[in-house]
Amino acid sequence: MTEKKTKKPRTNPLSPMWKRTASSLFKKPATTKYPFVKPKLPDDFRGKPDYTIRTCNMIDLSGTQRQFEFDVQKLVNTHCTVCARDCPANAIEIVEVDGKQRPQFDLNKCIFCNQCVESCPRNAIKGSTEYELATTDKKSLIIKPNPNGDAKQ
Amino acid sequence: MTNSDVDIVNVIESKFGSRVQIQPGLLGTATIHTSNGLHRDVIKAMIEADEKTGITAITGLDLGANLGLIYHIHTAKGFFGIKAEVPKENPKIQTINDIIPGATFHELEVTDLFGVVFEGNPLAGHFLLSENWPEGIFPLRKDVNPSEVKLNPSPPQEKMHEDKKTVKFIIGPQHPALLEPEKFSVTVDGEIVTKVEPRIGYVHRGIEKSAESRTYIQDIYLVERVCGICNPCHAYGFVGAVEKILKPDVPPRAKYLRVIALELNRLHSHMLTLGHAGLEIGYETLFQYFWRDREPIMDLIELTSGNRVYGSLMTIGGVRRDLKDTDIPKIKTVMANLRSKLPFYRKVYTDEPSIRARMQNEGVLSREDAIKLGVVGPVARGSGYDIDVRKDEPSEAYGEIPFKEIVYDSGDTWARMNVRMDELEQSINIIEYALDHLPKGPFRVEVPRYVPAGEAVNRVEAPRGELFYYVKGNGTASPERVKIRTPTYANIPAFLKTAIGENIADVPPNFVSLDPCFSCTDR
Amino acid sequence: MAVDFWLIARILIFPGFTFILLLTLFCDWVERKLEARIQNRVGPLVAGPAGLFQPIADFIKLLTKEEIDPRDARKTIFKFAPLAAFTIMVFAMYFLPVDGSSVISAGGFNGDLIVILTFSTIASFLLFLSGWASSNPYGTISSARVLTQFLGFDIPLFIIALTPAFIAGSLSIFAIASYQTTKALPFIIMAPWAFVLFLITIQAELEKDPFDVPDAESELVGGIETEYTGAKLAFLHLTRDVQIVFGAALVVELFLGGPYGPVIGGLPAFWYSLWFVLKLLAVVIVTEYITTLFARLRIDQVLSANWKIILPLAVVSLMLTVAMITWVYPLV
Repeated sequence: MTEKKTKKPRTNPLSPMWKRTASSLFKKPATTKYPFVKPKLPDDFRGKPDYTIRTCNMIDLSGTQRQFEFDVQKLVNTHCTVCARDCPANAIEIVEVDGKQRPQFDLNKCIFCNQCVESCPRNAIKGSTEYELATTDKKSLIIKPNPNGDAKQ
Repeated sequence: MTNSDVDIVNVIESKFGSRVQIQPGLLGTATIHTSNGLHRDVIKAMIEADEKTGITAITGLDLGANLGLIYHIHTAKGFFGIKAEVPKENPKIQTINDIIPGATFHELEVTDLFGVVFEGNPLAGHFLLSENWPEGIFPLRKDVNPSEVKLNPSPPQEKMHEDKKTVKFIIGPQHPALLEPEKFSVTVDGEIVTKVEPRIGYVHRGIEKSAESRTYIQDIYLVERVCGICNPCHAYGFVGAVEKILKPDVPPRAKYLRVIALELNRLHSHMLTLGHAGLEIGYETLFQYFWRDREPIMDLIELTSGNRVYGSLMTIGGVRRDLKDTDIPKIKTVMANLRSKLPFYRKVYTDEPSIRARMQNEGVLSREDAIKLGVVGPVARGSGYDIDVRKDEPSEAYGEIPFKEIVYDSGDTWARMNVRMDELEQSINIIEYALDHLPKGPFRVEVPRYVPAGEAVNRVEAPRGELFYYVKGNGTASPERVKIRTPTYANIPAFLKTAIGENIADVPPNFVSLDPCFSCTDR
Repeated sequence: MAVDFWLIARILIFPGFTFILLLTLFCDWVERKLEARIQNRVGPLVAGPAGLFQPIADFIKLLTKEEIDPRDARKTIFKFAPLAAFTIMVFAMYFLPVDGSSVISAGGFNGDLIVILTFSTIASFLLFLSGWASSNPYGTISSARVLTQFLGFDIPLFIIALTPAFIAGSLSIFAIASYQTTKALPFIIMAPWAFVLFLITIQAELEKDPFDVPDAESELVGGIETEYTGAKLAFLHLTRDVQIVFGAALVVELFLGGPYGPVIGGLPAFWYSLWFVLKLLAVVIVTEYITTLFARLRIDQVLSANWKIILPLAVVSLMLTVAMITWVYPLV
């Protein structure tokens, strides 16, 4: 077994850690005492997507899933499934609500990338800063579109 | 040794004449189409022309009747692709393992995933795939659907004690020293290591295959999740390669914002490693201090991109959100705070006797070994091998921002950590310069969803080293092939070499100094 | 034989078993809180006021967990070594004077210093056996390191522990402790070189940073406690904590004057216990501070530190102390 001596320090024998550790004893800890204290989030934090049904563009879902260019003007009068098609996690499913086709968000699969927020040509989906979504019931994490107004969980 | 890449093209032309076809400008500096095993001679000629030649990756392709191979070779200032093809019925080709030892891992991967047999570099068992994957089914070929493959039952465990004298000491798969699972069978004689055998592939999720069935926009998020720590680099690697096919006019503001995101990522990643190294040598206090000072950077990443870890800022054609003018003073305050803390950490790494006792003269990697094995990143720069994609092939705004490339010569663990420590200051400089010179204008252009047929490579300097992407489009909304070569994949062979002959106690700090990220390695 | 209730109360409650247990758990809390504050975090917070009940909560939690024994382990040693080590350490504590007299007897006997040092060696040996019996490579390598380290450092420990004995002229802990208050100054002032060396040696015996190598988490997963679960693990942890208290108590008795200190008003037993606990806490705080300050040395660096530096210095310090007693101190 090779013998390796402990190296002698070259410059100052007192490591700078001595002062720092002693002074840290008297400083306030850097811990945020979550869940008693909640952290402050920026406004555009990517939390739960917030869906407003009134402005959604989906009127009819024909059998063809056409791909088209990302041009807002053209999409106003055409069929739109862009949010479901662009979702990387396949978390958006088109379901029928009250005779109309609407997107249903499955927060179990959502990765909170907000690509749907970006892709929707009618700005029907907005981001929110809600992140405390833990629950004991998986079904409660599926946001079903409500025909009467905004999305309901 | 010549430094100019034009000379290498001339050398190849003069040596091989009409036996090869050279396409300049494709896949880097030039692409050389070879056949009949000429790839070995071409690579040998390149090494003779330029000593800093090494291999970056070997891409396998399924071309229908044939299997294509692209050897991506990097030289001092140029990047080349050497194409070869083998028929599917008899996929044999000669290895380049003896010319460039660093090609071993790449060849083993292509064997495992495509079925190409490299004569001279045999594969025993599986390399990336799990043990119960059936033989003869190669997942990355186009006719294989992984969800329909039936797996074999698991084979029995390997024995711990080989013979009475040596003990096989297994680090992993689950081990406190490792961040992610991998298995390293370390054979020890007393307390000295005699051999290290790696088994990677525990975190293999098949991202390259998965990328072929998703659209380009979905793929940005998919490749981002290859690694949590260096995710903007993966996103940018993919986006940059696609942009080289599409050639949109990316606005200058987007280029600067991309640089800011990449450098913030480098800051937080280096602080993570520097703290983690403290944990490996038993220095918990240093770990807690580093990670406490890393928190403001995570808050900055949250401010600029919306999430602490997965920024998702890059998209094809620019960035997804703009930087508000009110946020710029906040970033500058945090940068100034961090800069004032750096001298303390510098002093600790230089003066603290227990750190020097554990880290100096351990795990030495010589410059020649570094070049031959093809290591990248701070591991290479700690051994005197000065490669840095930001300087060799500057993209985005890196060409306009002045900064220093940090190189240390001693090649031990301590040098590698010092490289990272100094790069912290350089990153702060880059971010402040970029903020001061941020151009005005749009941050995004629209791009079509269909990408025309074509192929491109992109290299980006991730915190751990050079990250390489190859994207091939075929005119549809999904890519045909995405190939990722991550920096840790190139650095693990260096660990196998430096670990021999040292104590068991030195293996974790040595290991952490090459900053392993196994999610990146396995994809 | 008549049952002596007073003796049983002293053995079981104060300054016996319950007191030692509570003191151990309290010192654990002090250590964790101090380490947390030095590292700028909060430490235990929720269990009890300021996290005071956290160590006992951890202990009870471990007692309720399932116990899994490896198939190839040596059954008897595996099962009983932790409990035996704990018992011996607690029994060694019974010899120390806490409130003026120890649990076992009122005045101790000549030579009980050697007895308790032997007990601590036997307890460390039982810890080594518990790792050895685990039939796990991590346990084997770690227990080999434990054996090398504590056997190596026992020699300077004995030599330096003899220094106060030389000054006091007796091998009885009582005599050493009371000599420091009645006849002379505490030995920390009379032989400070021995005090510093003793602290370093105790740090190595207790396997705390920078001599943390047998318990190296990043290399050896759990060290000797890798295969232990449930109640046996609880007792292993408790043994380690009692060892820390024992080491600190040794420092207090040998160098800081033991429990003897100024008594204000009557009730000397109360004041002696109070001084004992306060001095013990001071020593625990100092050793914990040193722990947070340094990284972990390698095993060969630890051994070369022991045989090349500590052991020669221990011998030199003994010779220096004897010289001081014979020629210098009578003049003072």
